[in-house]
Amino acid sequence: MTITSDAGSDLTPQVEMVTVVVDGVAIEIPKGTLVIRAAELLGIEIPRFCDHPLLEPVAACRMCLVDIEGVPKPQPACAQVVSEGMQVRTQLTSPVARDAQEGVMEFLLLNHPLDCPVCDKGGECPLQNQAMTAGRPESRFDEVKRTFPKPINVSAQILLDRERCVSCARCTRFAEQIAGDPMLELLERGANQQVGTAVDQPFDSYFSGNTVQICPVGALTSAAYRFRSRPFDLVSVPTTCEHCASGCSLRTDHRRGTVTRRLAWDEPAVNEEWNCDKGRFAFTYQEQGRVTTPLIREDGQLRVASWPEALDFAARGLSAASSHGVLVGGRSTVEDSYAYARFARVALKTDNIDFRVRDSSDEEAQFLRSAVAGTAVRTTYETLEQAPVVLLIAFEPEDESPIVFLRLRKAARGGTRVYAVGPVATRGLAKLSGTLIPAKPGAEPAVLAELAEQVRAELQAPGAVIMVGERIAGIQGGATAVLQLAQATGAALTWVPRRAGERGALDAGALAGLLPGGRPLTEDSARAAVAAAWGVDSLPATVGLAGAELLAAARDGAIGALITGGVELGDLADQSLGRAGLEAAGFVVALENHHSAITELADVVFPVAVVTEKAGTFMNWEGRPRPFAQTFKDALVMSDAVVLGMLAKAMNIAVGASDVAGIRQELGALGAWTGPRAERPNVPAGPVAEGAHLVATWRALIDNGVMQEGEPYLAATAHLVAATVSATTAGALGNPESVTVTGPLGSVTVPLEIGAVIDGVVCLPLNSPGCVLYRDLGVRSGQAVTIKGAL
Amino acid sequence: MGLEEALPSGVLLTTVEKVAGYARKGSLWPATFGLACCAIEMMASGGARYDLARFGMEVFRASPRQADLMIVAGRVSQKMAPVLRQVYDQMPGPKWVLAMGVCASSGGMFNNYAIVQGVDHVVPVDIYLPGCPPRPEMLIDAILKLHDQIQDTKLGVNRKAEIRALESAALTAPATLEMKGLLR
Amino acid sequence: MAELPQAVRGFGVTFATIFKKVVTEQYPEQAAKFPPKPRYHGRHQLNRWADGLEKCIGCELCAWACPADAIFVQGADNQEGDRHSPGERYGRVYQINYLRCIFCGLCIEACPTRALTMTNEFELADNNRADLIYEKQDLLTPLLPGMLAPPHEMVPGTTDTDYYANKITGAVPEQAVQVDAEQVAP
Repeated sequence: MTITSDAGSDLTPQVEMVTVVVDGVAIEIPKGTLVIRAAELLGIEIPRFCDHPLLEPVAACRMCLVDIEGVPKPQPACAQVVSEGMQVRTQLTSPVARDAQEGVMEFLLLNHPLDCPVCDKGGECPLQNQAMTAGRPESRFDEVKRTFPKPINVSAQILLDRERCVSCARCTRFAEQIAGDPMLELLERGANQQVGTAVDQPFDSYFSGNTVQICPVGALTSAAYRFRSRPFDLVSVPTTCEHCASGCSLRTDHRRGTVTRRLAWDEPAVNEEWNCDKGRFAFTYQEQGRVTTPLIREDGQLRVASWPEALDFAARGLSAASSHGVLVGGRSTVEDSYAYARFARVALKTDNIDFRVRDSSDEEAQFLRSAVAGTAVRTTYETLEQAPVVLLIAFEPEDESPIVFLRLRKAARGGTRVYAVGPVATRGLAKLSGTLIPAKPGAEPAVLAELAEQVRAELQAPGAVIMVGERIAGIQGGATAVLQLAQATGAALTWVPRRAGERGALDAGALAGLLPGGRPLTEDSARAAVAAAWGVDSLPATVGLAGAELLAAARDGAIGALITGGVELGDLADQSLGRAGLEAAGFVVALENHHSAITELADVVFPVAVVTEKAGTFMNWEGRPRPFAQTFKDALVMSDAVVLGMLAKAMNIAVGASDVAGIRQELGALGAWTGPRAERPNVPAGPVAEGAHLVATWRALIDNGVMQEGEPYLAATAHLVAATVSATTAGALGNPESVTVTGPLGSVTVPLEIGAVIDGVVCLPLNSPGCVLYRDLGVRSGQAVTIKGAL
Repeated sequence: MGLEEALPSGVLLTTVEKVAGYARKGSLWPATFGLACCAIEMMASGGARYDLARFGMEVFRASPRQADLMIVAGRVSQKMAPVLRQVYDQMPGPKWVLAMGVCASSGGMFNNYAIVQGVDHVVPVDIYLPGCPPRPEMLIDAILKLHDQIQDTKLGVNRKAEIRALESAALTAPATLEMKGLLR
Repeated sequence: MAELPQAVRGFGVTFATIFKKVVTEQYPEQAAKFPPKPRYHGRHQLNRWADGLEKCIGCELCAWACPADAIFVQGADNQEGDRHSPGERYGRVYQINYLRCIFCGLCIEACPTRALTMTNEFELADNNRADLIYEKQDLLTPLLPGMLAPPHEMVPGTTDTDYYANKITGAVPEQAVQVDAEQVAP
C-alpha cells in the first residue's frame, strides 16, 4: 500500500512533531498522522478493511479497534489522529483490543457466505487472511444467514455480490473522492445495508476496475476476470501500461502463456494505486489476429516465408529503392523508436521519418522539436498536484490521459483552479470544477491571444501549468499561440500526447529533423556527435519529409520504399492519402503484430512482439522513462529493434546494438542535448471554418481502438455515443431524439444530447462504434457538417 | 483366393513384416538403466513374482551392445543426459526406449534446472509410462503396449514412407512454447 | 545327503520348487485375480451428483495442492440454460497431466466437494505425451441410471446447498424435459 507521499512537506518544513507510544515503543511523528499509520511505521500491523491510505478515513468496518489510554472504549486506529503522549495498545499487547477485534470479525462473518472456494478473491483476500489472524476459530452463530441474489451487475463490467460485502465503503469512497463518479452508494440500513447504484444509472466510470482491486472481500468482481484463475496460480510481472502516455505501473498476471488480468501497481509518483479500465482490461488484443510468420508478396499475393528468405527479400527491395521513408506508429517503445530512427539515418540514409501517423502538421513538428524533445522534466504529476492553476488546451484529460485526470482532480480538490480552452465544457471538466474559456474549434489561437487579464495573471503565479494535447496539431496557429502564452506568462508548458510511445519516439529521434535526445539535425555539432556514436561518416543533413508530406510524396511516386512499424491506417485523418501513399510506394516493409490494412498493402510483413513479449521503456508525458520487463520470458517473437537489426545485417550494414540493454546504453551515452534548439514555429492563426455546425471531436477512452479488441465487457462500459449540442442549437433543430450528421464522405445517425457546448458546435466522438468520423464522415475537428433531425 | 488354397494344409502365410515383428517383440532384451526409485520396481518386475521372462525378456543386459530396449527408470539429471545418449547410441538397431515413471517422461515433480524435462529431449521415446513409481504391472502393461507397436512396425520402403509421414507431422505440429495449458 | 556332489544339491532346489505354489502373478492374462488394493491411487475421476450435474466447481484447489503442478483448471460461470454444476461456478477446463502426476492424492484431500477421487485403474501407458494429458471428458464418470448429461438446471425447488447436503436423489422429469429441449433446439 502506498504511504501517501506528503508532498507538501518540502515546501513547509516546519512540521509539528508529536511523540506517541504504540505497544510500549515511542515514535516521533508529524501531528495529524493517524494511529494506524504510526503503528505501520513501527511495523505493527493492525487489521483493517475500510482503511486505505489514499481515501479519507471513515471508520466503517471497526476492524482496527485499539486501546488508547484514558479513553474508556476501544477506538478505531484508522480515524484516530495521534496526539502528544498518546499511549496506544494494539491487539498485540492489549486483551481489550484483541477482544474487540475478534468481536468485530465475528460480526463481519455473521452474514458472510464463506464461499471461498468459488470466490475470485480467495487466496488474496484480506477478510480470509485477517479471519485467520484476528478472528476466533469457531463461530457461535447458528441462525440462517442473510442472503441476496448473486451476483448483480452494477455495470456491464463490474459484478456485485452483496452477501460477501462487509460495508467498508472503499468502493463508494473511491467513486466519490477519486474518480468523481459517485454512482455507487451504500443503500438501506442495518443488516440490509448494501452497495448499489441508481436504477437507471450503471457504474459506467472509466475507473471502475479500481473498486474491484481495492475491495477487501470478493464483493466486487469483474466480468472479464471472473473465475478465470486463482491468485496462487498466477505469475506476476511489474509492467507499464501501453495504452496512453500516462505511464501507469501495472502488474500483469499470467499463467501458462496467457495474460489473465492486469492490476494497477503502486507507483506514488505516477499513478499512485489507480489505473483506468482501458489499461486494466484491454489486453485481449495481444492474442488476436497475430502475424505469426514473415510474409512476402509474390505475384500480388502474400505468402508465408522463412525468416532468411523474407529478410533477404526485404533487404533487396530496400537496397534497390533510391528514396526511403519510415513511419513509426506512436505505440513503439523508446528502444524500438530509437532503432527506427537509427535504421533510417544509417541504413537507409534518409531523414524521412515520422512517428505521428495521425493528424499532424509542420507547425506541430516545429513545436515538438523546439519546445518538447529532449527537454528536462519540468512538470510532473507532483508539480501538477501543487499547481495553483492549470490551463488545458486541445486536451480532454479524462478521455485522453485518465491518470492526469485523476491527479488533476486530486489537485482540484486541493484548490487548484482548472481552465480549459475549447468549445465543450466536458464531463471531465465539470468533475475538475473547471472553468471553460469558450472558443470555437479553430479559434483557440485567437482566444489564447486575447485571454482575460485575470487568467493571464493567474498563469503568472509560480507553478502554473499549461497542458496541451496532441489535438493542437489540428489547430492552425495553435502551437504558436500556446508557446507565446507560455513565454508571456512564464507558466510551465507540457505536451500530453495520447499514445504511449509518442513522447519516447520524439526523444529517440523518430521525427524528421530531430536526432536522439532532442538534437536538431540542422546543427552540425549535434549531427557529428550522433554520427560518431553510430559509427558512420555522416548523417543526412537536410530535414526530411514528415507527416502528410511524406505520404503525399509516396503517393506521387517520390518514395521508393517505405518501412512501417505498428501503423494503423485508421488513425489518419485523410485515410485515402495514407492508402494511396502505401499503394504507390514502390516497396513497403511492415513490422506488425496484427493483420491490418497495412499488412494487406505491404510487400513484406515481419511479425514483431507485443508488450508482453519484449522488454522496453515507455516515456510518459512527463518525460519520465517507464521501463518494463518481459512478461513471457520464453516468447519466440522478436521486438522491432531486433528485426531491424537483422534487416540491417541482411543489407550488410552495421547499425549497432539491437537488444534492450545495448540500446539503453547507446541512448544513455548520447544523453540530452544542451545546445541551441530548433526554431520555434511562427504560424498565424487560421480561419475558423464557415458553417452552421462545426465539429468538436476527440477519441473517447473506450472506443473502437484496435488495442481494445476482444473485450466486450469493457466496450459495454463506454460512454453513450451521441452528438452533443447546446440547448439553443438543439432547439433550432427541433429537439429531435436523434440526428443525422453529414460530412463529405457520408453520414451517421446518433442520439442527440444537450450539453455544455457553445452554440453552433456539435461534439461527436471521433472513433466510437457507429460514429467513426474520419471514415464515415470524412471530417476532422473544426470542420463544418450538416445536421438534420432523424426520424 | 489364389495361393492360400493351393497350399497344403499346415502351411500358414503371412508377411515378412509380421514375422519380423513377431520375432523382435518376442525377444526384447532391456539394457539396465535404473536411475532412481523406478529402478526398484523395474527390478521387481524381473523377479519371480512378476517374471518378465514370460515375455522373452529374461535378461537385463549390462552391455548396451546386447540390448535393444532401454527402460529409462528414474529422473535423468542434466549430467546423466549425455551418458544416456551414449548408451542409446551404442545399442544396435532396431531399438526402443521406454520412459518409465513421470520423471523420465516429463521431469515429473522435479520441474527444476537440474532435471531433464523428459527423456525425449535426449532420445526418441517409444512409450511413456506414468506413475511415481509405476507398479510392476504398469511396467508390464507398457511393455505389452510396446510389443504391439513393434509387431506393427513396417519394413523397407513402407518404413521409409512411415518415417516421412511422421516427420512431416512433427514439422507442422506447434512447438511446445506455442501451446497453452498443460501441454506447455 | 551331505555326500552328494554340490551340483546335484543345486538341482535339488529346483526340483523342490516344482512342488511349491507358483508365486508368479499371471498379469495380464489373469489380471482380475490380482486387483490392486482398494485404497490404491490410480487414475482420477470427476464425480457427478445424483442427477448428473458435475460436482466440480472449478475452484482450482486441487491445482493449488498439486506438488507436481500436474493439474490445470479454469472455472467459468454457470449461465442460464448452460448449467454444469450447482452454484455459480463450474470447471470449464480440467486437465490432468499424467506425465507429471505422482498419484499422491493431495488433490483428493483438497477437493471441497468430493468431486475428484481416484480409481484403481492403472493401465495408462501411451506412446505420446499429448494423449497422457487427460481432459475433462476423459475424467468424468459415466452417467449412471437416473443421471442426465449436463448442461441442465438443478432439480426444481432446490439450491446448491441442498446438493452439498447430499439431498438430491436423482434427476426429475422436469430436468429431462430441459435436456430434450436443448437437444431438439438446434
